[in-house]
Amino acid sequence: MAVDPKFIGKKYPTHVYEVGKEKIKEYARAIGDNNPLFLDDEKAKASKYGGIIAPPMFVVVYAAGPLGQMFFDGELALNFMMLVHGEQEFEFGEVVRPGDVITTESEIAEIYEKKGKSFVTMETISKNQQGQLTANARWTFVIRG
Amino acid sequence: MPEEKNPVGKYQPMYYAGASGDFNPIHIDPEFGKMVGLGGNILQGLCTMAFAAKAAWNYAGDPGALKHLKVRFAKPVKPLDTVVVGGKVVAKEGGAITLEIGASTNKGAVEVLTNSVATLRKA
Repeated sequence: MAVDPKFIGKKYPTHVYEVGKEKIKEYARAIGDNNPLFLDDEKAKASKYGGIIAPPMFVVVYAAGPLGQMFFDGELALNFMMLVHGEQEFEFGEVVRPGDVITTESEIAEIYEKKGKSFVTMETISKNQQGQLTANARWTFVIRG
Repeated sequence: MPEEKNPVGKYQPMYYAGASGDFNPIHIDPEFGKMVGLGGNILQGLCTMAFAAKAAWNYAGDPGALKHLKVRFAKPVKPLDTVVVGGKVVAKEGGAITLEIGASTNKGAVEVLTNSVATLRKA
């Protein structure tokens, strides 16, 4: 069933996420990344960052809240069973550190049909507690048939 | 950019689900994956993207150098696949480097990321 393009521009509530050091480590290990900047307090302290930082792709942890809201939005009525990830784009800004409080705003940017499939793109903008941009993202999902 | 090999263990989608919060049953439930025509459970696309991002920031020698990354998920990655990430420099401008990124499985036979580009900022 086609997704109604009238939902382009729909926004979801602001999502707030506080970054924890152990969550950064858990994420780094799960992507098979042993970089000491993500895992080792002492080595990270001696680096130019002065302490542990999050991998840039940690954005998927702090910014994904609005996606869940979109997936299970009764009004939008996406067929979640047939949903797969189609494309993804990130623009990275400030480095993210433990203790940062990241605020993410979201909006449905595109809804269209192509080759019998529905495409839905959400855009998110995430900023830290100082108002500095940490990541812009475009998340594109495909509903197969 | 040097190639990086990422072996995907049988339970990698479950580990990634725990770390990322993406518990979509297509990733963690092989029966569900079969039912919806995927032939089993598939790895989260964002995990494959993280492998690509890792190769790019390792090439830069600094995770903070990754400025931009865009990928297209062309084919699913399955448990027990090995994802090989490669890339080449296509532009250098004012200290910024643009890389074309590719990722494949089955010894290069299946391209899992296509139309993928990374930009590294000047240190």
